[in-house]
Amino acid sequence: MNDMRIAERATHVSTRKISATGVQVHYGDTHAIKDVNVEIEDKTVTAFIGPSGCGKSTFLRCLNRMNDTIDICRVSGQILLDGEDIYDPKVDPVQLRAKVGMVFQKPNPFPKSIYDNVAYGPRIHGLAKNKADLDDIVEKSLRRAAIWDEVKDRLDAPGTGLSGGQQQRLCIARAVATQPEVLLMDEPCSALDPIATAQVEELIDDLRQKFSVVIVTHSMQQAARVSQKTAFFHLGNLVEFGETGQIFTNPIDPRTESYITGRIG
Amino acid sequence: MVFAVAAIGFWAARNRAMTSADGDSRALHSLPNYYGTNAALSAIVPSLAVLALWLIMQPLLIETSVSKLIPDAAISEDTTRSLMMSDVRRIAHGLDTAIAEGGMTPDEATGLRSELTNLRERLASVGVALGSDVQAEVLFAAQKYRMMTRRASLYMMFSVLTLAMIGAAYAWSRSDKDFRARNIVEKAVLALLISAASIAILTTLGIVMSMLFETWNFFGQYEATSFFFGIKWAPDFRGDSALGILPLLWGTLYISLIALVVAVPIGLFAAIYMSEYAGPGLRAVAKPLIEILAGIPTIVYGLFALLTVGPALRDYFAQPLGFSGGADSVLTAGLVMGIMLIPFVSSLSDDIINAVPQSLRDGSLGLGATKSETIRQVIIPAALPGIVGAVLLATSRAIGETMIVVMGAGAAAAQLDKGLLEAINPLEAMTTVTTRIVSQLTGDTDFAAPETLVAFALGLTLFVITLGLNVLALYIVRKYREQYE
Repeated sequence: MNDMRIAERATHVSTRKISATGVQVHYGDTHAIKDVNVEIEDKTVTAFIGPSGCGKSTFLRCLNRMNDTIDICRVSGQILLDGEDIYDPKVDPVQLRAKVGMVFQKPNPFPKSIYDNVAYGPRIHGLAKNKADLDDIVEKSLRRAAIWDEVKDRLDAPGTGLSGGQQQRLCIARAVATQPEVLLMDEPCSALDPIATAQVEELIDDLRQKFSVVIVTHSMQQAARVSQKTAFFHLGNLVEFGETGQIFTNPIDPRTESYITGRIG
Repeated sequence: MVFAVAAIGFWAARNRAMTSADGDSRALHSLPNYYGTNAALSAIVPSLAVLALWLIMQPLLIETSVSKLIPDAAISEDTTRSLMMSDVRRIAHGLDTAIAEGGMTPDEATGLRSELTNLRERLASVGVALGSDVQAEVLFAAQKYRMMTRRASLYMMFSVLTLAMIGAAYAWSRSDKDFRARNIVEKAVLALLISAASIAILTTLGIVMSMLFETWNFFGQYEATSFFFGIKWAPDFRGDSALGILPLLWGTLYISLIALVVAVPIGLFAAIYMSEYAGPGLRAVAKPLIEILAGIPTIVYGLFALLTVGPALRDYFAQPLGFSGGADSVLTAGLVMGIMLIPFVSSLSDDIINAVPQSLRDGSLGLGATKSETIRQVIIPAALPGIVGAVLLATSRAIGETMIVVMGAGAAAAQLDKGLLEAINPLEAMTTVTTRIVSQLTGDTDFAAPETLVAFALGLTLFVITLGLNVLALYIVRKYREQYE
């Protein structure tokens, strides 16, 4: 908890992956997201922080159109993934979600074997040519999620039998196996103990090599530890967005400073 | 009366408890009403228990003492003691009726002698028919019976009331502010719940025991091997019946199978649509509509099978294909029974699918799966144990169904001895175990003949099969349930 290596953080300036402009979200009569503009870069970890109910999870779910599954939710504004509007009628949300994977707050392994959990995405999208190829994808994904050594001898055991931390890493492996370009994580460590949290954080840092990662978190230390960019949401507004080091050491907006120092939230 | 005592006890005990606490209910151990309830229970429970016991014991005791009054010599050859006793009861009852209607005075009734030969006519005039003229011994016994019954009823009323008052008074005397009335009431509630549970269990046991007993009788008269392995069902009352269960069992399983083939896919798909695709408005309308199917009496389904489905199948399906035969067929009964089972499958499956956590759906959708892929590969496997349970429940229901079979598939047993083609032809008339039980027991039958007793053996076999299915269903549901979480 005390390795706040903020100052010497290296920021990788690279291509723009997702750019959101003027995003508004309504849940029935509630105006949940108000005019948010965010640029998410490739091979970068972007953290969304803010008090509960500030809309950060809602905004995250806009990025792979998971909000489509909620009837009363309406999204307007423009979200571009690699320059293409993901809310364009021509875009298939199913295809989009294959490109923008998601890991949820609560570990949610399917009631299947560990192997089948990881192989689920590749099977659906036809990513493997044959059984050997699929085996390879499963192993690579489990290794990426730093859980291979723990489960390699029991790939046929049900995924629901693992511990909470293992389940969450299994879910990350499952998301990685689909070979997404962006990985969205909605408070991935909120159900985990500190040791499992540390493992997942290490993993997130590692995943940055290949993907663009967006993580929603309640823990400011976590945001500071794993991210290069941080966005602070408050009451549905994007208050401040910038380099993680700058947000945590030298926030511009007084609300950000109040939140980071623990005075609002 | 007992309840009046209980009400008084309730009020008195409540007041006494309040007084003991100087009218401040906070000083009481329990709420005031608990003291009242305790008193009411103390009045009601023992007295009603005695009442119940008395009502069971009284006839037994009186019968034994009265039946001693009839000497063996008075029992003529064509009758038995128990028949004489029923005469005694009839006469005693007749005397009561006669007095009630003013045809006799009470003194006259007790003083009657059989010399008054018009007793039969006099009783007949108040609506009590006697088979023959009354013997002196029987009349005497009847008068004795009547007196004892009246006296016993009086004693009973007295003792029950006394007991109620003692109970109420005892509870009243114990009601003060430290008395733990609340705990006593708690125990009474527990006892009530336990007795309700044990009644259900004991009844099941009782049913099984009575079936076992009759089945034992049956196997005393008919060989078990030819019952279980006989392939011919041809009962007659001349004593040379073939009572093989296999044709009936085949009919049962075949019809149930067709019913399930109809009900499971339709029910399951309806459930999936309802829980995953339908909007809340549609769901609110459609779900009750489907469940209405479950509320239709099976006899109405039977009519539907008999008048609509049967003839339609015969005219538009069987005859064009070159099959002859009547409107009764396995297919008719199976189809209609399948329709009956749809709500069972759909309603249970719907609940089970709804119980699958939303996080699993999100997980699958978040990986880029389509809705139907999610349902096929995640939701159905997660809900499978419950769905299997629902299907097995529907199977039990199908196996036990009678009315639809009688009206849709007829009452003639499958003819397994006529070759395979006859046996598996769905347009043949066939019948099931339940239907045969009804036909074996209804009508003018001899209750000692194997043709009648076979009904019990059939019933027991059926019971064992459905019990096995239920146990299997429970086992499956339990074994795989933990995978949900």
